[in-house]
Amino acid sequence: MPILQIKNLTKRFGGLTAINHFDLEIEEREIVGLIGPNGAGKTTLFNVTTGVYPIDGGEIFFKGQSLNGIEPHEACSIGIGRTFQLVKPFSSKTVLYNVMVGSFCRVNDRKQAEARALEVLEFVGMLPKIDLLGKSLTIADRKRLEVAKALATGPELLLLDEVMAGLNPKETEEAISLVKEISRRGITLLIIEHVMAVIMSLSERIAVLHHGEKIAEGPPGRVSHDEKVIKAYLGDEYVIS
Amino acid sequence: MMNGSHRKVAPKEKRFHGGEKMETYIQAIVNGFLMGSMYGLIAFGLTLVFGIMRVINFAHASLLMMAMFLAYGLCQVGMNPYLSLIIVVPVFFGLGYVLQRTLIERALKMEAGVREPMSVLLLTAGLLVLFENLVLLGVGPDYRTAKTIYTGATFKVSGIIIKTAWFYGFLATMISYFLLSSFLKWTWLGQAIRAAGQDRDAARLMGIDHYHIYGVAFGIGMALVGLSGTILVPFYYIHPAVGWVFGIGSFIIVILGGLGSTAGAFWGGVIIGLIESLGAQFMNATWTIVVVYGVFLAILFIRPAGLFGLKFEW
Amino acid sequence: MRFLGRGMDWVTRPQNYLGLGLVALLFLFPAFIKSMFYIQVMILVIFFAYLTSCWNILSGYAGQLSIGNAVFVMIGAYTSTLLFANLGLTPWIGMFIGGALAVFVGILVGYPTFRLRGAYFAIATIAVAEGLRKIVENTERIGKLNIGGAEGLTIPLLHHAPFQYQFVNKVYYYYIILILMFVGLYVTYRIDRSKIGYYLTAIREDEDAAQALGIDGRKYKLLAISLCAFFTALAGSFYAQLMLYIEPSGVGGLSLSIEMLLLGVIGGRGTILGPVIGAFCLVPVREMARTYIGTTYLGAHLVIYGSIMAIVILFLPHGIEEPIKKVYFGLAKRLGPAG
Repeated sequence: MPILQIKNLTKRFGGLTAINHFDLEIEEREIVGLIGPNGAGKTTLFNVTTGVYPIDGGEIFFKGQSLNGIEPHEACSIGIGRTFQLVKPFSSKTVLYNVMVGSFCRVNDRKQAEARALEVLEFVGMLPKIDLLGKSLTIADRKRLEVAKALATGPELLLLDEVMAGLNPKETEEAISLVKEISRRGITLLIIEHVMAVIMSLSERIAVLHHGEKIAEGPPGRVSHDEKVIKAYLGDEYVIS
Repeated sequence: MMNGSHRKVAPKEKRFHGGEKMETYIQAIVNGFLMGSMYGLIAFGLTLVFGIMRVINFAHASLLMMAMFLAYGLCQVGMNPYLSLIIVVPVFFGLGYVLQRTLIERALKMEAGVREPMSVLLLTAGLLVLFENLVLLGVGPDYRTAKTIYTGATFKVSGIIIKTAWFYGFLATMISYFLLSSFLKWTWLGQAIRAAGQDRDAARLMGIDHYHIYGVAFGIGMALVGLSGTILVPFYYIHPAVGWVFGIGSFIIVILGGLGSTAGAFWGGVIIGLIESLGAQFMNATWTIVVVYGVFLAILFIRPAGLFGLKFEW
Repeated sequence: MRFLGRGMDWVTRPQNYLGLGLVALLFLFPAFIKSMFYIQVMILVIFFAYLTSCWNILSGYAGQLSIGNAVFVMIGAYTSTLLFANLGLTPWIGMFIGGALAVFVGILVGYPTFRLRGAYFAIATIAVAEGLRKIVENTERIGKLNIGGAEGLTIPLLHHAPFQYQFVNKVYYYYIILILMFVGLYVTYRIDRSKIGYYLTAIREDEDAAQALGIDGRKYKLLAISLCAFFTALAGSFYAQLMLYIEPSGVGGLSLSIEMLLLGVIGGRGTILGPVIGAFCLVPVREMARTYIGTTYLGAHLVIYGSIMAIVILFLPHGIEEPIKKVYFGLAKRLGPAG
């Protein structure tokens, strides 16, 4: 059974239809990319899947369980983790503290939470920085911290929202290998990304969103040559990447 | 005592069955409307400052009190209260500008990225305590009333008694409302203020020093406070704690009308004024206050954006 | 040999024995200082330290700025007093009932208001607290029950009656409030080091991020207000028994709420010792001002409070707890190794 099934999903904000009859199925352990011009509805899709916005039409099933009416914290406890495009570190607290908040999702004891957090921080390669305050981190580290926090909650499905944005080539390389490591650990990934090269190399499958509708889906090679996709990007006035 | 008599005999009220009751209600409505419009004037500054800078000025009430004391002082040396505006308003504009650029700006900068900047709120709360008690220390706890030629003066229209000072206050409210709206809509500075309020970054790109704009906006807000205080002096008592009477009410009005909306502040003030004066017909003053609080809480839960408010992201 | 479950090593470290020394000083204070005036001052200091610590749970840790906490003090004071005056129930039990009632009110108020962010919430707390206070002020009696209205209630005088929470010698009250303060500190300490503390902090820092990490914002905020309400109500009962007279503006007034706010912000929100430090530094100022300047200059202490608050916000937003901690540890280092 696919881990995530989005069927005929519709989301409206007043008169604007942000997501229009969207279908997507993701199998366990897959890495699926989600691309589309700005304003296509990608982050909205994340928000609906994690319960930040209610569903207006259609269904979403996670491991067979309907996500209709779910609240964000419930989404996390059933195994959906997410990062935010505009990262949200707890800036006056240390990196370790930040990740421990995530750990408490699965454990109740402080020492256990600390141990779990340290494990995650080692995995993402931030052990030397555990005592730094959130506000003093570089953008690359903030993004990494964001991922670490989400990982500490023990997700089975991880939604990554533009974790590569604003990184230099070297940082991007490191981020790509981290994402591959996460996948190797058995976590299913749905990734929003603007940096084309990244998403092409990471994803097994890509879905393309434009004005809330899916205009293409398939392996990276096929999608990148799809005429509709090319038109969507080139014809779009607001391409700022 | 001045008594402008436009004594229009109105025999029709005798024709009403229970016409006396009706007249009391009409009187209450008129009073509530006049007083309410002044509540609105007091709230103008608060809502303007919030709309532009997203700043809640907790010290608002104490600044009103200080304006009243200044106007009172000028009255005591013989100045006509409405003439004293010439001094009070500019002084308060300057005070507002200085306050903004020295203290509040600093607190704003400290929390530039924070979603809910509480620093300014707490800073102004500290200032509130400071100002109120400083004045208390300086002038003592006595209640004072100004003796002006308008104090106690009334005139009649169709049998309805109108307090002269209230009427002038109402006029001041309407004039400032139109002046303010025109300023914001038609002058360059006014538009710059609105621009800075809507999109800080865009305004900056247009070469507008938004901190200077904030200073001006806050100055205008304080000028309005100066105006409000002055028009209160002819008929209200002056005391260091008088701010509290209007303070909480101002917040309620601003939220009721919608943060950032001057029309909202006006109508919110009128609503509160009407609740108070009509309510006083049925219950004692304290219960009307409880009703006001109740209405306020209801608004917060049902429609926090207020009557005219825009849905903004807190 | 073990002390408090830790080895001798722990006790010999300067930062620890200094702290223990301070605690001992507090407990031995009445043994050395016999003047009732100073004991009264200290009672008030510790009372505010406790009260502000309770406030800190909601407004510091959970970050929900409350300017209406006095309503819980009022509920505690009135509940235990009314139960005692009318049913003869000892305030020792009555205070817990007051606590429970305060929790009930807290949840009732919190449920709709926690939707509101920042300043909206703060203003709502003022409206609720003032509204309730005015209702009490205007209610002389409910049926046959005497509420007292604006004149308040006096607690039936029993002189020395330990089981009825009344003592002639104020020293008893000193120790009661001292123990209460340490209870409050302990509760704060446990919150700070536990999942609850981490979750409240996360909610305070960024509620959306917190939700995404599995935190039910509403549940934890309600928990915070419940704890705050319960312990604050206990202080209300204490105050009633200390003063033997309560009236709405004294126990439920805005000035009391603002005082908690001032002490908490200046001391340091979201820290264990911040409120205590704030109280210990500032309440003596208030009492000194009251004694030496007297009632001719009302509010002198508030001028100081207000100015310090403004200065703290601009220059030390996390309160004076930080620099004082540095001084303390600096001193400890000077005293010896392992400091």
